[in-house]
Amino acid sequence: MSISNLLENWSKFRHTHPVDDKPHDPYKWAMSIDLDACSGCNACSVACYAENNLPVVGKEKYAHGQVMHWMRIEHYWDEDVGEEGGREFPDQGAQFLPMMCQQCEAAPCETVCPVGATNHTEDGLNSQIYNRCIGSRYCSANCPYKVRYFNWFNYPTTDNVWPAEMVQQLNPDVTVRGKGVMEKCTFCVQRLRAAEVTAKSEGRLVHDGEVQTACQQACPTSAISFGNLVDQESRVHRQWRAQQVELDKDKQAKDDHEEPSELRGYRILENMRPYPSVMYLERVRESAI
Amino acid sequence: MMDSGFDRRDFLKVMGWSGAAVALSGCGNTSIEDGKETLVSYVEAVDYQIPGVGVYYNSSCAQCDAGCSINGKVREGRVLKLEGNPASAINRGKMCGLGQAGVQHHYNPDRLREPLLRNGGSGETITWEKAYALISEKLKGVSGEEIAFLSGVVSGHLKVLLGNYLSSLGSKNHFVYEALAPGVVRAANKKAYGVEMPRYNISKAKVVLSFGADFLGAWVSPVHFSQQYAQFRKGVDGQRGVLIQVEPKMTLTGANADRWVPIRPGTEGILALGIINALGIATGDIAAAVKGYDKARVSKETGVPPGHIDKIAAILKLRSPSLVLAGGAAEGYAHGSQNAAAINLLNHVLGNVGKTVEASAAVPFPQMAPAKGNTAALKSLNDGLAEGKYKVLFNYAANPVFTAPGAMKFKDNMAKAGFKVAFAHYMDETALQADLVLPLESALEDWGTQVPEYMAEGAQINILQPLMENVHPNTRSIGDILLALLKQSRAEEYKNYEDFYAYLRSALVQNKAALGGHAMDEDAFWNETLTKGIIKLVGTTAALSGKAGISGLKLPAPAEIDEQYPLQLIPSVNISLRDGRHTNQPWLQESPDPLTTIVWDSWMEIHPKKAAELGIVEGDIVEITSRIGSIKTQAYLFPGIHPDAISVPIGQGHEAMGRYAKGYGVNPLKIMDAVFDRETGELAMHETRVKVSKTGQRVIVVKDESAAGAKQIREKIAGRVYTDNVDLTKEV
Repeated sequence: MSISNLLENWSKFRHTHPVDDKPHDPYKWAMSIDLDACSGCNACSVACYAENNLPVVGKEKYAHGQVMHWMRIEHYWDEDVGEEGGREFPDQGAQFLPMMCQQCEAAPCETVCPVGATNHTEDGLNSQIYNRCIGSRYCSANCPYKVRYFNWFNYPTTDNVWPAEMVQQLNPDVTVRGKGVMEKCTFCVQRLRAAEVTAKSEGRLVHDGEVQTACQQACPTSAISFGNLVDQESRVHRQWRAQQVELDKDKQAKDDHEEPSELRGYRILENMRPYPSVMYLERVRESAI
Repeated sequence: MMDSGFDRRDFLKVMGWSGAAVALSGCGNTSIEDGKETLVSYVEAVDYQIPGVGVYYNSSCAQCDAGCSINGKVREGRVLKLEGNPASAINRGKMCGLGQAGVQHHYNPDRLREPLLRNGGSGETITWEKAYALISEKLKGVSGEEIAFLSGVVSGHLKVLLGNYLSSLGSKNHFVYEALAPGVVRAANKKAYGVEMPRYNISKAKVVLSFGADFLGAWVSPVHFSQQYAQFRKGVDGQRGVLIQVEPKMTLTGANADRWVPIRPGTEGILALGIINALGIATGDIAAAVKGYDKARVSKETGVPPGHIDKIAAILKLRSPSLVLAGGAAEGYAHGSQNAAAINLLNHVLGNVGKTVEASAAVPFPQMAPAKGNTAALKSLNDGLAEGKYKVLFNYAANPVFTAPGAMKFKDNMAKAGFKVAFAHYMDETALQADLVLPLESALEDWGTQVPEYMAEGAQINILQPLMENVHPNTRSIGDILLALLKQSRAEEYKNYEDFYAYLRSALVQNKAALGGHAMDEDAFWNETLTKGIIKLVGTTAALSGKAGISGLKLPAPAEIDEQYPLQLIPSVNISLRDGRHTNQPWLQESPDPLTTIVWDSWMEIHPKKAAELGIVEGDIVEITSRIGSIKTQAYLFPGIHPDAISVPIGQGHEAMGRYAKGYGVNPLKIMDAVFDRETGELAMHETRVKVSKTGQRVIVVKDESAAGAKQIREKIAGRVYTDNVDLTKEV
C-alpha cells in the first residue's frame, strides 16, 4: 500500500475496534474454552507445534524464557495451598487454563507497533506481518496476556531445531520465521483463509464446524470451540449469547449482580478494554464433597 | 478425507510396498544439488496428487497401546501432521500430544538406518542378506528352549507371524513385557468381573471414585477416557459428574478432581474397606469382614480425615450409578492384588457392575488379540538369562535395560545370552547391548493390524498403512523381517507371500466375509478397508461373571516407617514420556509436565512441609538413596504429594537413544527394589524406600510456571464456581 493511497483513503482504512461504523462482516473469528472440560493435558499445545512450525528451543533457551509455545497451559494452585496457616494439600485439584493470543478487538499490541506489522484484519484477527516486523518487541511489552514470542535466534539454522529429516515435517502453509521477528497464535489463519476462499469460490459462507483450529481439533475433551461470531447459528455465537458475554463491552451486564451467577462465561482482563475474542467458561467444583 | 475419486491402488504402488516407483521423499535433504537425487517432474505425477493440496489417509497410532486411529495429512509425498480419525470409537477424531509426536518419531534424526553388527565396541554396517544369514547361522544347533523372544505388546497379524516364527524354531519363550502395564489390576479384574479389562463407562457414572487411576493422563486409553470425562462432567439427568481421586501423588486426573484425597501410600485397600463399612449397605460375609474397618481406625491408618470418609460414603450412596477404579497407585505394592480386590469389591457393593462396569467386546479372532505384557514376564526372562539358559535373545519394542528395576541387573544378565538381536528404531540402551541391530520402519511407513486391548464400543481391528515412502531406504518392516526369517525354515509354506503386505492382504481378504465384506469383491474390500483404516466388528462379548467375594482378602497393616529409609519413592508416569520410549521426540521434551510445568529434565517432588523439615528449597540438587543405589536430581516443592512420599518421573535419564534424550535427567527405575506383588508376581512399583539428602548444589528449575504462581494480584484469571450455582445441562 502506497503512502498516498493510505492518506487518501484514510477513513476507509482507519477503524476503531470494536466498531459500530463497520462491524465485522461476514466473519468474526472467536473462541470459547470450557475450563471445566479442560484437563490440562497439553495436546493442544503439541498440535500447535505441529501445525504452525514452532521451534523446539531446548533447555537452555527455555530457562531464559525464550520458549515459543503459542498455546500454553497456565497452571494455578489455590492461593492458600502449601502456605503457613493455609491448607496443607490442594484438595480441590489444580486449575488449568489454555492461554494463547486472545485476538483482541482493541489490541494493545497493535497501537504501539512502530511499523504497523501487527494489525487488525477484516475477519477480526490480530495479524502479524513477519516481513514488516523490525523486532522492536514493543508489542510484546504491551501485551497483557504475554502471548507474543520473539525469535531471538535464527531457528531454521540452529542445530537440532529442524535437522534435515525434520524439515520434511514442516507445514508448507505456514512460514518458518527467521531471527528478529515477533510471532504468536494466529487462530490457524492458514486454515481460515483456505476455508474462506473455498466458501467464496462456491458462493457461500463458511459453515459452522467447517474449519477447526489445530488445538480445537486435537483437544481430547472438546473443551475448545471455535467459529464465526457473526453467524447467529454458530456454536460459538450461541455460547457467547447464552453466557451473556458481549464482544464490545468492557464489563458485562451480568457482572453487576451481587448474587452468584449461574453464568460461567468471562473474558480475561476485560476491564483493561482489549476486548478479547476468547471467552472462558469457569471451572466448576462440586459443593457436596 | 477419502472422498476424492483417485485410484487408491496407484497410491499404494507408489507409497507402499515395492518402493520402485517415483521417489516422493521430496525436498529437505538438499541432495538435488549434489546430483544424488533426481528431480521427478510433476508432469508425470499420479492423478490424485495436486501440488499444494494435502490428502488424508487413515492409519493407526503406535505411540502407545491404546489403539487410536489417525488421519495423516500427506502433501507432496510427505506426511505433515496427524489428526485423529473421527470414525474410531476409541479416539473419535481426537489426539493426545504423545500421538501427535508420532511424526517426530518418523522423521527423527537419530533413527537407525542400516543393519549393524557388533564389532568390539562399535557397530559395523552390514547388508540385510548378511544379517539374515547370520541369524540363521547362530540359530543352527540351538534348541527351542535356548531361544527367547522379548517384545512389547503385539497384536494382530504381527502377533500371528511372530507366533509362527517361534514355533518354527520350536520355541515357546515369548516374553511380553510392558514396563507400565496394569498387570495387577488386570488380574484383580479377572477375579472380580471375569474379564481382565471391562468397559468402564465413565460417561454414565454420576460419581467416579478413582484410586490412583490416571485415566486422563496415562492410564489404559486416555484419549478415550478424556472424551468420556467431558460427557461425565456435563452430567446425566442434569447432574454433573463428581470426580474423587485418592492417591499419594497427584496425577493429572487428581488435578481435575472435585476432591483430591492424599492417602498414606499403600493403604488404598484399607480406605476402600472403610468406605464399604461406612456405606453400611453390604450384607453377609462382606459386612462381617469390613466390620473392623471403622472410621477411627481407617482414618488413623490411611491419614484420611473421618469427615472425608463420611462425605465420600454419603455421595456414593446418594448418587448412583457410580464407578470405582483401581489404578497404578493402588497396585504398586507387595499387597497390590489385595488393594485392587478391595477396590473392585466397592463396585460390587455399590451395584455398579453391569451398569458402569460393563462387559467389553473382543475381536472374534483370539489369535489376533493382544499379547499383553507384564513385569512378571520380565522377571522370568531375567531369571533365565541369569542362569545362562538362553543362547539367542531377540528383542522388539521393549527397552528392558532402561526400564527394568536396578535390582534386577538386567544388563549384566543380558550379556550372558550368546547372541542378541535387537529390532529397533533407535540405538537405545538395549540395542546398545545387542550383537546385531536391525533398523525398523516407523509406524508411518509400515503395514500392520492392531487389536487394542481396551475396546470402546463393539470390537475393531485397526489398520496400519504407510503414509509415505521410507525416510531411510534401508529400514525394514518388522513383519517383512519376521517373514524373511520364517522362510529360512518354512520357505515352501510362505512362498506365496512376497512380503508382509502380501501376507496381510491375503489374510484379511480371505476372511472378508467375517470382516463385513461378504458382498464385495476382493479389491473393493481391500480398498474400503484401507480407506477406512478400521474394520468394525460386532465382536464377542464375554459376560461379566465375577462375584463379590471377600474370601482371601487380607490387607496388611500400614508399613512401619523405616528409620534408615523413611520415604516412599513413587516413580511417576509422565503423560507424554510414559516408559521413556518416546523421550527422543523433542515436542515431548518441551511439553511441560502438566503439574510441575518442568521441561527437559527430571525432578523430585516433595511436600513443602517435608522439604522444610529437611531444609530443602526448590532447585536444591538432592541425592535420593535406596538400598540399590542413588540418583541425583533437582527438588521441586509440590503440595500435591503425601509428606511420607517423594516422586520422580519415569522416562528421563537415557544414556543412549538420541540427541534429545541422552543426558537429560535421571532414571528412578535404576534405584528400584525388586519387590513383587505376592499374588501375581508383578513388580511392585511403589515399594522402594529411600532417603533424601542435600548435596549443597542448587540450580534454577527450568519450568513454565511463573515465580508468582497463584499469588498474582490479579483480576479473575482462572475462575471457579460451585455446582450449587450452575446447571451445565442448560448450557450450549
